[in-house]
Amino acid sequence: MSGETLRVVGQRVRKVDGIELVTGRAKFAGDLVFPGMVYGYAARASVPAARIKGIDVSAAEMSDGVLLALRGGDIPGPNIIGILPPFDQPILATEVIRYVGESIALVVAESREAARRAARLVKADLEPLAPILTIDEALAEGARAIHPKGNVTCANRLVKGDVEQGFAGADVVVEGTYETSHQEHGYLEPEAVCAVPSADGRMTVYASCQSPFHLRGHIAANLGVPASSVRVVQAYTGGSFGGKDDVATEIGSLAAVAARRLDRPVRIAHEREESIIGSNLRHASRIHVATAAKKDGTILARRIRVLLDGGAYASESPFVTVKALVHVAGPYRVPNLLVESTSVYTNKTYSGACRGFGVPQSTFASESNIDELARKLGIDPLALRRKNALKAGDANATGQTYPASVGIVQTIDAIEARRGALPPLPGNDGRWRYGRGVACLLQGISNGAEGVDVVGASVQVSQDGSALVGVGLTDIGQGARTVSAQIVSEILGIPLPRVTVRSVDTDSVHDSGPTVASRNTTVGGQAVKMAAMEVRKSLVGMAARMFKVEGPLVDLRDGFAVLTVDAAARIPLSDVATAAYWTGYPLMNLAFSKAPDASFDHETHQGSVYIAYNYGTHLLDVRVDTRTGAVEVLRHLACHDVGKAINPLGLEGQIEGGSLFGFGLAHLEEVLFRDGRIVNANFADYALPSIKDRLPTEAMTVEDPNPTGPYGAKGVGEPPVAGAAAAFANAVADATGIRFHRLPISRQEILLALKANEGKG
Amino acid sequence: MKDETMRIEFTCNGKLTSVEARLDMRALDLLRDLLGLTGTKEGCGRGECGACTILLDDEPVNACLLYAAKLQGRRVQTIEGVAGADGSLDAVQEAFLEEGAVQCGYCTPGMVLSARALLRKNPKPDVPAIEEALSGNFCRCTGYGKIVRAVQSAAGAAQRAEGAVQRAEGAVQRAEGAVQRAAGKASS
Repeated sequence: MSGETLRVVGQRVRKVDGIELVTGRAKFAGDLVFPGMVYGYAARASVPAARIKGIDVSAAEMSDGVLLALRGGDIPGPNIIGILPPFDQPILATEVIRYVGESIALVVAESREAARRAARLVKADLEPLAPILTIDEALAEGARAIHPKGNVTCANRLVKGDVEQGFAGADVVVEGTYETSHQEHGYLEPEAVCAVPSADGRMTVYASCQSPFHLRGHIAANLGVPASSVRVVQAYTGGSFGGKDDVATEIGSLAAVAARRLDRPVRIAHEREESIIGSNLRHASRIHVATAAKKDGTILARRIRVLLDGGAYASESPFVTVKALVHVAGPYRVPNLLVESTSVYTNKTYSGACRGFGVPQSTFASESNIDELARKLGIDPLALRRKNALKAGDANATGQTYPASVGIVQTIDAIEARRGALPPLPGNDGRWRYGRGVACLLQGISNGAEGVDVVGASVQVSQDGSALVGVGLTDIGQGARTVSAQIVSEILGIPLPRVTVRSVDTDSVHDSGPTVASRNTTVGGQAVKMAAMEVRKSLVGMAARMFKVEGPLVDLRDGFAVLTVDAAARIPLSDVATAAYWTGYPLMNLAFSKAPDASFDHETHQGSVYIAYNYGTHLLDVRVDTRTGAVEVLRHLACHDVGKAINPLGLEGQIEGGSLFGFGLAHLEEVLFRDGRIVNANFADYALPSIKDRLPTEAMTVEDPNPTGPYGAKGVGEPPVAGAAAAFANAVADATGIRFHRLPISRQEILLALKANEGKG
Repeated sequence: MKDETMRIEFTCNGKLTSVEARLDMRALDLLRDLLGLTGTKEGCGRGECGACTILLDDEPVNACLLYAAKLQGRRVQTIEGVAGADGSLDAVQEAFLEEGAVQCGYCTPGMVLSARALLRKNPKPDVPAIEEALSGNFCRCTGYGKIVRAVQSAAGAAQRAEGAVQRAEGAVQRAEGAVQRAAGKASS
């Protein structure tokens, strides 16, 4: 690796774990079978709020094939899960029911059918409470407290400059309230775990999950054993998007407790309905935005209030609330800014992490408002955004500045250049209305304000010159293993087929925290790079001795150590590795990548929060059918500043997939509650985008290298969601002349609004 | 009735298979639990997501909606039967990898089988035909664009392969003709 030319990083490469997926050989957690395995199935609450007087499992226990029925009191440990304080969520509810679908008992039986049948026989003696189902009900004076400390999960403020003064000097103020609904992750694989006890007292849990170390901690605590006696192995995971965290700890703990009691392997595999009602959703939101600007479009100040409906338990609400707080002002210079962000409890399925983590909701609100400002001032929407866009050295919402890798202007320019070359949209005729929307966004990469950010990675080279890589973050479909393999291949010159990246096993990698915040490539990749660089020293040092030259004259590439001055002089890496082994050079390294700590004022949220931001600009053209309200997306340009694309093929997949996720939020998807009960907990009634709904996304990138990421890379898993959702809303507003203030902007909503407008006309 | 069983005989991935199954068993569970063919996935249990797609006499069906007894005497292909015995991938599998049409991979077995069924009937599908054929298979990861491209690419690869076969056959015929002509001359 000469440092100038990259051979593997930056190439379009196939997924390193692709063959087992296209052949169906990959074992997901629900595919695993162990001798003597039995099946767990939860009994769930059927009312949204009640005091529990008793839970009777005797009939279930008598049912055919049933081996065990667990209630909350049977959990040896604290019967609590949760990723963050306040740790308010029981595994099995014992005193109070807070949402429909909450687990109240687990039945374990010889077959899945027997367990399922018996779970229906669990009887709960309940004293119903009036459910609290909306943000307003939760915040109403005198409202019943869903949790002892009240109905506010958390409340944060961001204060920058003097917002009153900013508004006082304004030529124009644009104000609006914007709402979004709950979204379901909709990963194709419902949650599943399999807990396998072993004779030495240890417990191994194979799990479809996102953050294996969360599972290990909770499972150990709830078993009442040391963490060192629990091993969590991530099985192939069929999508997660933030959704397989809390619920994986719930079923992982339950399966482990049952497995210990029975001394038999226990599998819990959710059905689709359970996956929707019994695991977290995306927060619904109501966001009020007021923006003050000068006539020339310069933003002077923004005053924003974010309210998030977090459902029955805290889950990741505290972090989502902060993420919304920090992102809602957008990728702009806003000298005077006041944001209040609050999350509340309601008696609904809890909300937590979901691809974008508060940013899609915030971006929809902020970008709708910016669009209204552009319209009011008669300024081109892209030009207005460009005028206010952050540049390197500018203070962002938290007052943080970056010397580089602030690529928002480049993404605007790239979209602008493309827009300039496009034919004009057709004019509206009787039936069809055409419109174009743009949206800009930013998304913080790394845990940042959400906690310490350490990743451990190991690289070991065998005597045959192959490499084994372990990293503490998970591949949940996004292609993380491939990125790690490319980095190791690049540094050690080992061809990709000879680099193996293990799945996460808590026994053999360092606790690297959760796989969240688009941090896998950025922070995880850095750890892999560091470990590989250490092993490289041994290989280069050994090869130099073999060549009888100085180390700098040796390069590793294509499976050989070569002389930089004479590429024909080469030694197979297997010979170098073997010699290094017999010479006693270390061929394994464990490295830690630690992102700089966030340091900010908790009262004002001013300070350093994230190690980097991904920036993006989306453009979306639509055609609206005024007879049916149907929207056809004619064009979608999605441009992101990714720092450096490690695997452009995988990166495009992230942008295309993330965009459709956002389009679903904006147009198709809504978890519908009636009296606190989800009434569309299946894929017939919940409109997951199908192949016919796909966007004509054209993924574009600009690369403004991020000094904190490997080869300058920044994560891209989450950011496209916000861009596509907000651009869609703006495109529909442009086409119809109607500003929609709530997502999803469904076909039906559009038709109703068009009809109402006709009436006025 | 629920405990009654019956012997079900069918062809599974080219092999005659005989298995004793409960009458109320789903084809999905027979394949997964009795035969260990876990490449067929369960995503919804209601025929809405397509993760459990198998080919029944070359037609894609949702194995979660099918009673095991319905397999009697039929020909079944699961994802495990797509690649060659030597591990060689078929054109659709290759194309899914090459085009980046796989992310988490949970929908992939069903997608591959639906795509194969399409290409068998319609070797040159246009985009609407691909959309129609895959509209019963959900994917949450990819946004579908790369899946459409993969099917197009597999169709192209198959046509190129067929073209090569036809060219080879033509060459053989021409060679045979030449041989016959030569033989005719020799005998005359």
